[in-house]
Amino acid sequence: MLIEQELIERARTGDPQAFNQVVLAYRKRILGTISRLIGRPEDVEDVAQEVFVRLYYSLDQLRTAEVFEPWLYRLTVNASYDYLRRVKRRSESRMADLSEQQVMMADSIAGGRQEDEERQKGKTREFMDALFRHVSDEDRLLLTLKEVEGLSLKELEQIYGAKENALKVRLFRARQRVLKAYEAAKADGRL
Amino acid sequence: MVDGDYRLDEFFQRYRAACPDVEPTPNFMPILWERIEGRRGFAFTFERMARPAMTIFAALCLLLLVLNVAGTGQGSVAPPTYTDALAADSTAEKTDYTEAIWNNPTSFQAPQELRAQHR
Repeated sequence: MLIEQELIERARTGDPQAFNQVVLAYRKRILGTISRLIGRPEDVEDVAQEVFVRLYYSLDQLRTAEVFEPWLYRLTVNASYDYLRRVKRRSESRMADLSEQQVMMADSIAGGRQEDEERQKGKTREFMDALFRHVSDEDRLLLTLKEVEGLSLKELEQIYGAKENALKVRLFRARQRVLKAYEAAKADGRL
Repeated sequence: MVDGDYRLDEFFQRYRAACPDVEPTPNFMPILWERIEGRRGFAFTFERMARPAMTIFAALCLLLLVLNVAGTGQGSVAPPTYTDALAADSTAEKTDYTEAIWNNPTSFQAPQELRAQHR
């Protein structure tokens, strides 16, 4: 925990200073998580602010300060999910329908050329975005939390309030779908 | 597939590195508080409108209840007889329908075969 439980208790009672401190302590971590969950740096701050607005209005529903972090993660996942649904940028495109730009990007990732680092990172994000189109938004978030954020199944259990076995099955299926798309891209010589 | 799994794991790590740790802009906190206040404004407006509306509806319900009880009270002073009730129930539509039946005696006749059997 990045802060004292007492601070959370004070924020729960409506102390704006305490809430400010909570936000300041967690905002960087939440910004990073959202960045990886949605993959679009330009909208990360907007989603993060939505998370903290929701936190402000739901703090009184928090049972104990001990479960604050899973609670905050749950709000983060929900806000990211809402964002992904809202943007709905995803099309029904399959890997075969990837744009020329994405194919080139995949090639350059595979080649490992020393290109401009930022451009390379942007391409990696876009390619991952294309891979994630093979799973639902919910599974995308779950997979990212597990594989990219590195959260344990125990932590996911707390965030989702679901049984570990159910999460394992869901993760396995989502991973298989992404892996299939990844293999297809590799077989086509796009990766 | 094992090789694929390994490569996918590697790709996940590359993706993690590609997603930068976003630094909050200086406006992060002011905009956050604006949004909080904005939503509070909506919540307060709704609450402010909802409370008088609830009072008005409650008063209206009470008034209707009083009127209903008063109406029932008046009726109990002179209870209607059974024939009064029947007369009140015979609306114009029902009367027309009944008259039509009574004016058409054939409508009461059983089919010819049945009448023959009966004989």
